[in-house]
Amino acid sequence: MTVHNFYMFDRYGQLLFYAEWNRLRQSGITREEEAKLMYGMLFSIKSFVSRISPLDNTSGSREGFHCYRTSKYALHYMETPTGLKLVLNTDNVAVNVHELLKQIYSQVYVEYVVKNPLCNLSEPIKSDLFEAQLDAVVKQSHVFTSKPT
Amino acid sequence: MSRQGARLDAKKVNSELFTLTYGTLVSQLLKDYENVDEVNKQLERMGYNIGIRLIEDFLARTGSGRCYDFKDTAEKIQAGFRIFLGVSPTISNWGPGGDEFSLIFESNPLTEFVELPDHCLNLKYCNILAGVLRGACEMVQMEVTSWFVQDQLKGDNVTELRVKFIKRLEDAIPAGED
Amino acid sequence: MVIYSVYIVSKSGGLIFNYDHSVPKIETEKTYSFPLEHKLVYQNKQIVVAFGQRNGVMVGHVLLGVNGAPVNGRTIEDEKNPRDAFEVLENPENYPINLKFGRPKMSTNEKIFLASMFYPLFAIASQLSPQPRTSGIQSLEADTFRLYCFQTLTGVKFILIVEPSQTGADLLLHRIYELYADYALKNPFYSLEMPIRCDLFESNLQSLLEQSEKAGISSV
Repeated sequence: MTVHNFYMFDRYGQLLFYAEWNRLRQSGITREEEAKLMYGMLFSIKSFVSRISPLDNTSGSREGFHCYRTSKYALHYMETPTGLKLVLNTDNVAVNVHELLKQIYSQVYVEYVVKNPLCNLSEPIKSDLFEAQLDAVVKQSHVFTSKPT
Repeated sequence: MSRQGARLDAKKVNSELFTLTYGTLVSQLLKDYENVDEVNKQLERMGYNIGIRLIEDFLARTGSGRCYDFKDTAEKIQAGFRIFLGVSPTISNWGPGGDEFSLIFESNPLTEFVELPDHCLNLKYCNILAGVLRGACEMVQMEVTSWFVQDQLKGDNVTELRVKFIKRLEDAIPAGED
Repeated sequence: MVIYSVYIVSKSGGLIFNYDHSVPKIETEKTYSFPLEHKLVYQNKQIVVAFGQRNGVMVGHVLLGVNGAPVNGRTIEDEKNPRDAFEVLENPENYPINLKFGRPKMSTNEKIFLASMFYPLFAIASQLSPQPRTSGIQSLEADTFRLYCFQTLTGVKFILIVEPSQTGADLLLHRIYELYADYALKNPFYSLEMPIRCDLFESNLQSLLEQSEKAGISSV
């Protein structure tokens, strides 16, 4: 199993943070354009999901949408009620990636960005501590530890 | 690079230090602004800035989802007071449309040693709480307003904070989408 | 297992077939007193519950009827006296009032729109891939359903919406593909890329879905 890359967006669609580990292919566009494309796709998927859904969403979770899989990779998505959006791309055999996303939110973002009064919440994250902590949490995760297939 | 070792143990931090810090802050504001209304406004604004951060900690701790009814919101606000201030206000006096309620505090750690001097009877000493609620709710796409109806500092039996739902805020839409 | 619906999207992105197998109807009717406990807003030509989810009426439900008269747009279609729904609801004199709310049913136009919306998502998912040579979206998990998509080498997409606990619908999608090849493509009066209106296809599909609902998806 392996983790490819990570995107974090704020509620207005601004890219707050990007990181990659085993990314095997670049999209061929700038990071900024790639982020816009990613956010636009997520927005459309959310709207698609809420309209095509045959039932009411009663779980109270904001997103409705959890993940999609292609032949090679899976995109895992988490959105908090405050509109923070976390995206993690893994290979498509990875399991329990949602737990990892929750962990990134509660143990890395909340601890090292929200509780750091010097971090402006509406600007891209420049904290080294955040970056190091994110890297550690991802690398310790069972999703990452098994070698790439 | 973990800083776990330097974390404060919540059980060991003296709550009176917290009460004292807040009191000093309010009295310094009074000296600086020399105007009670302005101080009320500043306290609310500070609370707002706390609220927009504190909500993330609340969500991370409780794992709670989005509210679809103001009753859920009321319960979550109540839980928030329990988590962060260690008090459990009661929810009461629901408005007929279900969009307005009161939080009743029997005790309030912020006001434990406080006596309001005569020249600032209009001071909303705990107005920071109203700001926290506004900031936190705004982050979850809800506009609310809140104000103190009764205040133990002004001789009332209990402190009553009224919370009213104003409207749902819309999500941001990326450029180029309809 | 529960199969909700099947969509077939042509190579150019048009919806050529849709079949709703078991889409539940969700409606609630109740008599209310003033003031109304749900917050309503007018969006996309419907009156929608924006907040105040209680007694079976969920956020996102649409106001369908007032005192037995249907609501169209924001108008109560009372034969003698059509009125603006918001004006009626704001006036305490009109209470108690009977209101019917429900989950909006998708119109054909909306289905066509959604099918054309899935098409670029499928392509972008492949463009944003961190790995080389990736397909588009093959499955999508949401709170309330799971979507499976199978794209044939000729570019036709078969989309299946099933209950969320259901895994591995590939076999069923292949069976639907076979039915398509048999009853649509081999029908000399069916023209490619056009909506499929073949009774034989539909009845065979229906029995296939019923069979896999009863016996489990892997038995087809």
